[in-house]
Parts: sequence; C-alpha cells; structure tokens
Amino acid sequence: MSDGLPIFGKVVFDTLFIDWRIMAITAIISIILFIVGMYIQLDKWGRGIPEGATKPYGAFGALSMIISSIFSKGIGHALEVLVLDVLFQRRTYRRRKLEWLMHILIFWGWIGLLVLTMIAAAAEFAGPFLFNQDYTYFVGAWKALELPNEIFGWMLVLGIVIAIARRLFSTGKDVQARNADIDWILIIGLLLVVITGFYAQSVRGDVARNLIEAYPPGLFNNFTVMFHEVFTLLFCVAYLPFSKYFHMITAPLTILVNHGGE
Amino acid sequence: MAKEKPSINTVNFTAAQLMEFDACTRCGECVKYCPTYDARDKNQDIEPRDKIQKWKDFMNKSYGLKARILGPEKIPHEEIKKFTDDLYNCTTCGMCGTVCPAGINTIELWESTRANLVKYGTGPYGKQSLFPKLIEEGHNPYLKQQKDRLAWMTPDIKIAEKSDIAYFIGCTAGYNQQVLGVSTARILNKLNVPFMALGEEEWCCGSALIRTGQQHINETPKKAAIHNVEALKARGAKRVIFACAGCFRAAKIDWPRAYGKALPFEAIHMSQFLAEQLDAGKIKWEKSLNKTVTYHDPCHLGRHVGVFEEPRKVLNSMPGIKLVEMKRNRKEQRCCGAGGGVKAGIPDLALGVATGRMKDAQETGAEALISTCPFCRRNLIDGRDELKLDMSVDDLVVLTAHLMGLSTDVKPPAPGAPKESISDLFRTQTIPPKPPAPPAEPKKEEPKAAAPATPAPAANKK
Repeated sequence: MSDGLPIFGKVVFDTLFIDWRIMAITAIISIILFIVGMYIQLDKWGRGIPEGATKPYGAFGALSMIISSIFSKGIGHALEVLVLDVLFQRRTYRRRKLEWLMHILIFWGWIGLLVLTMIAAAAEFAGPFLFNQDYTYFVGAWKALELPNEIFGWMLVLGIVIAIARRLFSTGKDVQARNADIDWILIIGLLLVVITGFYAQSVRGDVARNLIEAYPPGLFNNFTVMFHEVFTLLFCVAYLPFSKYFHMITAPLTILVNHGGE
Repeated sequence: MAKEKPSINTVNFTAAQLMEFDACTRCGECVKYCPTYDARDKNQDIEPRDKIQKWKDFMNKSYGLKARILGPEKIPHEEIKKFTDDLYNCTTCGMCGTVCPAGINTIELWESTRANLVKYGTGPYGKQSLFPKLIEEGHNPYLKQQKDRLAWMTPDIKIAEKSDIAYFIGCTAGYNQQVLGVSTARILNKLNVPFMALGEEEWCCGSALIRTGQQHINETPKKAAIHNVEALKARGAKRVIFACAGCFRAAKIDWPRAYGKALPFEAIHMSQFLAEQLDAGKIKWEKSLNKTVTYHDPCHLGRHVGVFEEPRKVLNSMPGIKLVEMKRNRKEQRCCGAGGGVKAGIPDLALGVATGRMKDAQETGAEALISTCPFCRRNLIDGRDELKLDMSVDDLVVLTAHLMGLSTDVKPPAPGAPKESISDLFRTQTIPPKPPAPPAEPKKEEPKAAAPATPAPAANKK
C-alpha cells in the first residue's frame, strides 16, 4: 500500500489506484524495450545501400533520411498529408468504407484514451503542485473525464468488434482468409486490454461515486486493475516494435515519406 | 564462434524502402487488383502482400532482433530463387501501390528488389537476361541495326535535320510497329509541325533494363539516357514527343535520375500533343468512323506518369467515334500484361493477363480497343487472337491519322513481318506469308548460340 508518491516535498496521488512503483518499473521497462525495438528496426532500415551509395547509412542516417523525405515537399504539404492521410486515413476511406470506420474508431478511440490518460496524469500533479490540494482534486478530475473516457472506450470496442466480425464473416473470401492466422493474437490482446480496461474503469468509478474518505481506497492494487495497466504497457508499448502492430508506426511514416502515396 | 553471414543483403534499397516492407498491413487490397495474381489462378505466392511479407521475413531472419542475438538464420538458396521467380511474375504495373492504404511505392520497391536479386544471382527471369548484352552492344533489344532506325520512312514523310521539336521514335515503333512511326510522322507533317528525329543516334530508352532490375549492368540505361539527352540537346530540341508510353515513362522518370538533373527539354506524349493541337483548333477531321471504341490506359502513361484525360479528349472529338469505358479505367485500369519484362520473360503470363484485359474490353461491347503504347497494342492483339474476339486493337495515332485523311500504310511489309507492323483497324495492307523453310540439311552437332537467331518475339522490351 502507498500513501502516494513523494516528489519535491509534495505527495502525488494517482488515478490508477495501484502501487506507483509497479507502474514506474513497468513503464520504464516498456519504454526501454520500445526504444530498443525502434533502434533495431531503424538499424535494419539503415542497412540499405541505395544504387550509387557505397555503404549503409546506419540507424541515425535512416532516421535523418526519413525525416528529410517527409519534409522534402515543404512543411505545408507534410501537414496536409499528416491530417488527411494519417489522421483521417483518406486512402482507406476511398476504397474500404467499413475498414475505414473500423480503423478510425480504433485509432481515435485509442488516441482519445491516451490523451485523457495524459490529462488525468497531469491532474495528479496539478493538485498538489499547482492548487495545493489532496487526492480529492484528482478524484474530481477523474470524475470529470469519466464520460469522454466512456465514449472513447466504446469507440475502441466498436472498432474491435468490427475487426473481429470482418475476420469471422469474411474468411471465405480469398483476400481476407490469410489475415486470420496473422493478427488474431493482436486482436485478442487488444480485446484483453479493453475488457480489463472497462473493468478497471468500472471499479474506479465505484470508488469515485462512493465518496472516498481516505486515500488509498479499498480497491488498491486490485489484481485485474493492475493486470490491465501492466499488460497494456507491455503489449501496446514494449511489444509494438516487434509485432504486426508496428504498422501503426510504419504505415503513417510510409505515407508521409511518399507524400500521401501515389 | 563466428556468426553466420546473412543469406541476403540490402544493396539497392533505400532506408525508406526497407521501412516499407514493415508498413504492409496485410489488408489484401492489392490482391484484389493484381493482374498477374488473377492470371495465375490466384496463386498466393505472387500476390503483392505475400512478396512483401516474404522479403520482410528474410530481412528479419537476417537482421532482426533474433538475428542480432543468435546470429542470422540461414535462408535456403532455393527459397530465395523461388521468391525471385515469384517477384518476376509481375508486370510492375503499380496497381498494388495505387490501392495500398499505406501508400507503399511498390513500383520502385519491386524494381529495387529485382536489382538486389540480380546482383545476388537469382534474377532476372528467362530471356530477360539477354537485354543487357543486346542493348549495350546494339542499342536496341531486337538485334537490329542502328542504320535501320528510320528504315520505316516513306518518301512522303519529311523529317527536318534540326528543329526544336523532336520525335523520339523508340525501338518498337522504329523496328516492329512501323504503322506507329508513319502515322505519327504524317500527323506532324500535316499539322505543319517541323520535327527532327535522332535516327542512327537514337538509343534504346533503357526501360527494359530498369524494369527488370538490370540497370547496374555496365550502367547501360544511364549511358543510354545521357546519350539520348545530350543528342537531343545538341540538335536543339526544346520539346520531345514520344508516341511510346514505355519510352515516355523512361524519359519522364528514369532519364532525369540518370542525367542527374532536370532534362533540358520538355518530354511530351503524342496524346498530349494531339490534345494541345485540338485545343488550338489545328486538327481538322476529314473522315468519320462510326465505331464504338474503348480506351486502354497504358500503365506507363497513366498510373506511372498521370496522363489519363488527353487520349480521351482526342477520342471524344473524333467524328463518329463513341467512347465507352471499361469498368476498370484510368488509375484503376488493368494492365495489358506486357510490362516489367513479362512479355519477354514469361510470355504465357503476358498472354494470360492480356486475355483478362480483352475480356474487360469485350464487356463494353466496343468494336475496337485503342491504346497509346506499342507494347500494350502488341500484347492485347495477342490476347484478342487467343480469345478469337472480333475486335480491332490499335493505337490512337493510327486512328488519328486515318481520320485526318492520312494514309496509315507502311512500306510493303516483308514476308512474315510481325502482325503488329501494320494497322489492325484499317486493314489496307496484308503481310505476305513467310516463305517455306528450305529442306533441312542432315543434322550436325553445333554449339548453341548465345542469343536466339530470331530475337523479335523474345525481345519485347517493356
């Protein structure tokens, strides 16, 4: 059990209701693994020796080439591609409306939850540091974020349901059939994140609604809640550069490098 | 213990291209449109996403996390050879890149991978390996003489010695499809557009070598591009007209790369030039032709360079001509099957794709299929013949010349000349049959020739 995290003489409480040390260690491990994975991938790309070159450019050379390619037609063009082709997935929309809806729901649901998590984390620090308040400040912030959290969460669920339905009902078609053996592990992983996430959100909601009298609350270090947070970090951050979901990074980068594609 | 060396290497790839292998989401959109996948009875090994996945696997086995820790995993040579063969079962039409949600530039990716595998030793495919020697030594892929570059000229055609407009004829129109050469030249003469041609100075555009991943061999395409650009520049060309989509693509995309800077002239396709002349009111139609036609967008003119509307504009302006579109048109057209070295290397695949496209044309009810590329024309004629369709296949310049009141006749064809050397739409000429071969002499044991004695069918260079 924890009474919060002492930082610069202030006590920072958390909205996750789990031991911060577990989160900190998991987060650090996940980020390190993510960076290592990204470096391995960059190093792999940097081994390319284009016609006319005599040696590979290396990981940082690859990074530099990718960035310079993205902006080679100007910042304005790069921003246009970023908004229309990456954030709103214009290329998918043109051809596959249902898949576009699925991607948009998953992508924006995910982004929304990420942003809300960052706001909640900021509230944890804002309470003690800016407003000199105890845990009731972040509980209030948490309650205020409950509705948008629900909306983005359901967007994510709907997107995943479409993804699963497509795979279940389209397996007879030659195009989708071979997808099945590739990304089930990822769909199931994502489903696990969402289901445990809803559970965690629900028990945290109960705490907030039942007027907390003291921190930490009774559900502190609830196993499912802890599993959710740890699994999410490992699955969605650490595993990302090594999984098929790596296309979440490489596909937008490719669209940007190719200026929106042909 | 020393770690084993990776079975593959990364030469000819840019960092962004190696990233592209990791960007494929395996959505399968490319598979729905791939013409060779269709023609090969939906063989999954040749679908674009599988080829990307395969090379990605090779890369990860050679340079991924596990390879870094435990050393590269050996990839059997047979597996790489099989991948190479699958990779060459592709016309590099670029349809996969057009529909790819991740925006992967597949045309460049396939060409880089091919170049890598040519250097590795498993590429190219079949008779494609003849291209470097033929083009390096003879400056054309047909084993023809440079002095015959303008042999198609008829006495009525006037070509200027110097002019700011040039007509880059190309090997195919110059040697095998004379009807395109005479039609283009007569149109320009009739429009009072003085033009010059390089004649013996014209070299192959290099497209066949680049498309098949052999551009590095003696740097032939680079030398050819620089030679052509300098020759055109020296003759004062400001605009260069191409009636061949393959040469035009090479001039627009490949030549500036080889030349190292922007070309000192404007490259323009004949269909664009005709549309311009139409806008300027210079084209006067003197004949009418009541026919329903459909237009096939060549990959090299359409998807690769972006010219879609000008040929349609010309067709729509022709008296009596009714243009109907195939279901797959413009950016989403289906390839004719000749590109990427397939016509030379894998003729049965080229024919399979061509029949697919001719079926598309048949569905429209058109009486003629018009295109703007000699390779498409030739391969689609083959597809038409295979299906025994009652449909003419010809080029826009041939139709234009006819409706402008010009003859499309070529010099009397030699016995056994290729069927594509004369107009398919206006059968004013016939090709005399090939004389029977002299009685065979008693067999002698002779060493096999390095190149075929009759190169034309093999060396269709797109």
